[in-house]
Amino acid sequence: MEHKIKSIIQKLDSDKIQFADARITITDEESFYFADGFLRGFSSDKESISVGIRVMIRGCWGFAGSDDLSDASIERMIKTAISNAESGSAFKTEAESFPALPATKAEYIFKPEIDPFEMDKEEKLDYLGKLATAIKPQGKIVFSMLVAVFQRQEKYYANSEGSYSHTVYYNTMPMMQVAASDGQQNQSRTWPGDMSGGRAGFEQFYLYDFEHNTERIIKEATDLLKAPVVSEKKADIIIGGGHLALQLHESVGHATEADRIFGMEISYAGKTFIKPEMLGKFQYGSPVVNIYSDSTDPRGMGFHPLDDEGVPGKKVNIISQGVLQDLQSSRYIAHKLGLEPSSNMKASFADDYPLVRMTNFCLAPGKGSLDELIASTERGYLVDFTKTWSIDDNRNNFQFTTEIGYQIKDGRIVGIVKEPTYYGITQPFWNACDAVCGEEEWMFHGTFSCGKGEPGQSMLLSHGVAPARFRNVDMIVKI
Amino acid sequence: MDFIAYLKDQLHKHPQLLWVIYQQNWNTDFLRFYRSQTNYNISKSNHSLYLSLYKDQRNYGFTINDPTRAKIDEALKEALDILDKLPPDPDFVDLEDDPTLAEPRDVINNIEQVPLQLKSAILNRIAEAVKPHGFDIFGTFICNYGSSRMINSNNLDKSSAGSPIFLEVKAVHKDSEVTVLQNFGGEDFAKFDEEAFTAELLRKIEHCKNPVVDVEAGEYDVILAPRCVAEFVQYLSWCMDARAYDQHDSFFEDKLDVQVFPPHISITDDPTDPDMIRQDYGSDGHIYKPLKLVEQGVFKAFTCDHYYHRKTGLPKNGNTGSCLSIAPGESSLEEMVKEVKNGLYISSLHYMNFINMKETSITGLTRDGTFLIKDGKIVNVVNSLRFTEKIERILRNVIALENKAHTTAFSDNYGSFDISSTKAPHALIKGFQISSSTHTI
Repeated sequence: MEHKIKSIIQKLDSDKIQFADARITITDEESFYFADGFLRGFSSDKESISVGIRVMIRGCWGFAGSDDLSDASIERMIKTAISNAESGSAFKTEAESFPALPATKAEYIFKPEIDPFEMDKEEKLDYLGKLATAIKPQGKIVFSMLVAVFQRQEKYYANSEGSYSHTVYYNTMPMMQVAASDGQQNQSRTWPGDMSGGRAGFEQFYLYDFEHNTERIIKEATDLLKAPVVSEKKADIIIGGGHLALQLHESVGHATEADRIFGMEISYAGKTFIKPEMLGKFQYGSPVVNIYSDSTDPRGMGFHPLDDEGVPGKKVNIISQGVLQDLQSSRYIAHKLGLEPSSNMKASFADDYPLVRMTNFCLAPGKGSLDELIASTERGYLVDFTKTWSIDDNRNNFQFTTEIGYQIKDGRIVGIVKEPTYYGITQPFWNACDAVCGEEEWMFHGTFSCGKGEPGQSMLLSHGVAPARFRNVDMIVKI
Repeated sequence: MDFIAYLKDQLHKHPQLLWVIYQQNWNTDFLRFYRSQTNYNISKSNHSLYLSLYKDQRNYGFTINDPTRAKIDEALKEALDILDKLPPDPDFVDLEDDPTLAEPRDVINNIEQVPLQLKSAILNRIAEAVKPHGFDIFGTFICNYGSSRMINSNNLDKSSAGSPIFLEVKAVHKDSEVTVLQNFGGEDFAKFDEEAFTAELLRKIEHCKNPVVDVEAGEYDVILAPRCVAEFVQYLSWCMDARAYDQHDSFFEDKLDVQVFPPHISITDDPTDPDMIRQDYGSDGHIYKPLKLVEQGVFKAFTCDHYYHRKTGLPKNGNTGSCLSIAPGESSLEEMVKEVKNGLYISSLHYMNFINMKETSITGLTRDGTFLIKDGKIVNVVNSLRFTEKIERILRNVIALENKAHTTAFSDNYGSFDISSTKAPHALIKGFQISSSTHTI
């Protein structure tokens, strides 16, 4: 493959081509779906090959993608990518360009503790089947499901500047859910929530201790049927790690993607309230809020030695002590804004077009344990396990509902509430953050399904967070 | 090489197996533009083969991209090895058995009919038309061409092809970011009237001349644009599916033949409407025919595939809710606007999610043109707003429907990339719950 991809780049060596890159991905996926204790879906997609060729001509990008790696297909793709760029340049008012980067060569092979594609299939099925059986309908539980998705992706990248990388990653996404009903209403509980993906093999199941959480979610889903709702218009909330990862993702991660500033995502995902002149000045959050993008941390799914535009992985401080400092960018956008490219250009598969994407987008830890944070909270709620999420296309007005809230009185959890909903505006909300738990509570949470771009791509990415407290948050929404 | 024939030959050696083969070829030519210029041009093609095997209620499936005989042999061997080791699904009975074939039709490849040069020329003209008003254009111009074939061990053999076109233009003011949008979708590019498309965009821009205002949270009479009506009904259609019924998560669980909405609400899943992007087959290759979901306010049917038909006993229809059509009413849009003393016109919705699907409670935002209506006239652009509502209540509160329905195309960007269409009239809703403002356009 190394020879193949380098030969593609050689064929693109032409005066009229400002920049060219090519990628090949070989992806294995295996997914299991159990419903009500029974295996309803087991499918695999092995050695799925994609190739993508991107060229810039007269300041305009052209791209061709395919799953056919034959020489004839590659020749067709080269012609198509060039023709797409040339035709597109007829509808272009501002030619794109960016400074060259030194050639970088990199190789990285991730080795999981338990390779899900190599482990004994019966052992894997036995483990998953036991979990599915443990949560199957019982008592008030009327539906249950268990999902496991395993992915291995090998990627080759080369560009016209001489950069080359070869990587192999493993990613795993486990999740289980139960739904309880009393005939009038449904309440559900998941474990470990929607942000359960990680750079790992089968060990991701053990990380989240699934076996010891089946009874918990059955009890909590059942108890939620009789639980009260939040009664206060405003309350202090502590947001647990899984859900805080999504809050960070939606209201800071997407908001600081610089392609949105120029409207490149208006047609689908939206824009952002951030303007270039806010850099270095805008008080995004309180002084305890420190947020960074770090594609050099191999623990997260956003790790890479080179991004899909040939920029070496790097750590970039996006928000320091609450002040906006930098953005996630492509080489062109960074150049336009006078910034260094942040190594955030990624595509899900080789036949997808690279976009500005979150990699490992993290809230830096503060101090103390979650127990200490609860103990220091007079009244409020610990909310976790996302149920509903929504944010406007400027990433300004959000509203979230979690499956459960744990009511806190005088520093202790005293009960639960169902479907706690909170809402707010991004800047005042992050400025109301007065505490972030410490290293001992900090971990990566990840998703397999961050949607962006057209044609749409689902990206795998991670968020490192520790639970954090937000003061005086708006809580009640009339429905 | 005919991989399906090869695979079929291999499978005939195992008469105890039930099986389904899907073969799909898919191509797109995708122009994305921003600030009245190209963002990128993408051409993409995929060829895949999917096989699902069943033996004694045990099921395993695999996909092969860019298939070869060697890849098929290896995948099939692995599948046969694993199948006996799987736990059974006691709810699986058998495979789809509807033999009905769709009427043959000619499908023109619109990737060839609407080349990039033509797309660029059209967009250049639209950009020039909005420029004097201080607007730029953003959006996508897509042509797809796809063909598929499905065969199964019940002797079904069904092929279909389609070539949808999708053009969505958002005109965005360079300073205020006030936005309006116009959309075309279909399979016949001759139906695209560039002059009318541009004129409609410019008519909407005319409503953007007055200052932008904000409104307080509260209940408002609102006129929903056809795409908003369609989108609410699309979300509601998830509750009309047998899967939601089976999981006890459907609002309609005990409401078959019950009057749930006012008599002027009728909803049909209609792939035969010539204004819609046609679908020949629904779930598992079942013929896709018109299905009345709500008739004069009475809930009539769940969309139901073969599996859930066997599991729940609901009638099978194979519909998927991909061609939703909401029947028009009797009012003109002008009459509906005149009815509103203090309300809103909502052009488009954004980032909706169910809070509780069984209750149809949902939150989301307005986008791309929210307008204040005062004393029967559209007077100002309003910042984008958040609503928190129940879809069943929105439909119960429909007090007027426009006397014609409009086709809106949607490009599905989250799951598999596809283009579908809906048809709906404008709707006047009383007491629509705005829960907060975004304070931004």
